[in-house]
Amino acid sequence: MEWLLRFIRTRWAWALVLPPLLFFLAFFVGPLLYLFFVSLHDVSQAEMYGTRLTMENYVRIAGDPFYHFIIRRTLTAGLAVSGLSLLIGYPVALSMVRMSPSRRSLLLMVLLFPLMVSNVIRAYGWIAILGRRGVVNKVLGDVGLIQAPLPLMYSLETVVVGLLTILLPYMIICLLNALLTVDRNLEEAAQALGAGPARTFLHVTLPLSTPGIASGLLLVFLLTLSAYVTVQLLGGAQSKMLVSLVYDSVMTFVWPRAAALAFVLLAISLAITTLMLKGIRPQRVQGKG
Amino acid sequence: MRKVSWTLRIVTLLSLVIILGPIAIVVLVSFSPSDFFAFPPRGLSLRWFHEFFRIPSMRAAYLLSLEVALTASVLAAVLGTLAALFLARRRGAVVGLLNALFLSPLVFPTIIIGVALLLFFRRVGMPILPGLILAHALIGTPYCIRLVLTSLQAFDVSLEEAGQSLGASPVRTFFLITLPSIRPGLLSGWLFAFIVSFGELNTALFLTGPGVTTLPIEIFAYLQFQGSQLVIAAASTLQICLVIILVVTIERLVGLSSMVR
Repeated sequence: MEWLLRFIRTRWAWALVLPPLLFFLAFFVGPLLYLFFVSLHDVSQAEMYGTRLTMENYVRIAGDPFYHFIIRRTLTAGLAVSGLSLLIGYPVALSMVRMSPSRRSLLLMVLLFPLMVSNVIRAYGWIAILGRRGVVNKVLGDVGLIQAPLPLMYSLETVVVGLLTILLPYMIICLLNALLTVDRNLEEAAQALGAGPARTFLHVTLPLSTPGIASGLLLVFLLTLSAYVTVQLLGGAQSKMLVSLVYDSVMTFVWPRAAALAFVLLAISLAITTLMLKGIRPQRVQGKG
Repeated sequence: MRKVSWTLRIVTLLSLVIILGPIAIVVLVSFSPSDFFAFPPRGLSLRWFHEFFRIPSMRAAYLLSLEVALTASVLAAVLGTLAALFLARRRGAVVGLLNALFLSPLVFPTIIIGVALLLFFRRVGMPILPGLILAHALIGTPYCIRLVLTSLQAFDVSLEEAGQSLGASPVRTFFLITLPSIRPGLLSGWLFAFIVSFGELNTALFLTGPGVTTLPIEIFAYLQFQGSQLVIAAASTLQICLVIILVVTIERLVGLSSMVR
């Protein structure tokens, strides 16, 4: 009888998960496998892809200096954005940990709100500030400091600044979550044993917050990789990234190349994930490894 | 020590300025009466909001965004709740794998999901609108799963067992016992999926088509091909208003901070 009850309950649970599972298989796993399949075919004018199975899409990307250049630029931008957001986000998270809970959750709400505003609007905000007729040029021109508008847009630096401000809240939230779990007694113990604030921070707080550092860096880096609209609006044609090449290939209907580029992007995300987890070893904090 | 905490405060303040500044500027600019941005603003006007509703493509995009967000978020809420009910109850390797699968769209480069779905939908001949809705539902489901799971952690499973042992069918138990207790998580998950869909760019970039465009994509196209006109600021302000209303609602329901745990 007990066995029967358990069996019904088990089957019931599997019936629950069936719709979402089928949905994910049909519209997530399946399309990704199909994309990989397309990336292994030659380019065709008439069809979505040719009939010949080939690695040449990947071979071309691996051998072409232009793609190398774009990939290096993508990695540089990703590292700059994630590194800077860590540098700026850490002090913010530290000061949030020391706040009263009610002030902290108010600030958290203020940080979450921008994440829900579409990135195209947040990029447009930077155009309104830095563009030819933007706030900076307008104010400087009115004051008489400049004769012609400064070219502040369409550079890699603008893209980095834009992405930094767009993604910074993610970093702060990841760091805050990690710092909130750090036992204050450990810091007090270090200080009682004679360590100064700097030493306590370097040897206790910072190592204990590595899970937050790792997840923040990863999240920001991965989101940088697919931020096509921000890159396009703030960087223009001169600052194309890997994601821009994926988009361009799709818009010119070169499907197999678009598919191959998408998988190169995915391989880079996986490589970065592995490297960061190996380098920072966040699992140390939980006593695993 | 005092010096340190002042430095921390200044960095925090500056971060808030660079995070919120661009959004504030957009809202400010949208009430401008002149053709271009002027500083200090020469008065307030709703001119660009009138202009926004006069442009048919903008109006259509706003309505389509609402329609897509509404359908996609309902779908995401249903799928997310089913998945969360399962994930909260069972343990083991298979469940861990499913958990990773269901939450992966959160970190997976969405641009790749967009390209993959575009090719797949072309192959199976999916019309534009349903395809867009399915993609947005996929992106929104992980948020619903997380929020419903948070609600379920506080939920006592023995209540369900009590219901069933008293003779209620699983479906009845769900509607009478489980659903009322996970309602805050479910509602905020649904609203969150709505917000995510309403601002979604990376999949919509590929899955919208001629005449079927969401507001963010319409804004993007406008910025690229018509230059930065202030009607975009009005469109953005309208979206920001909607987000503020929904954020306050979520805060009332569960407290936004439960979103990030």
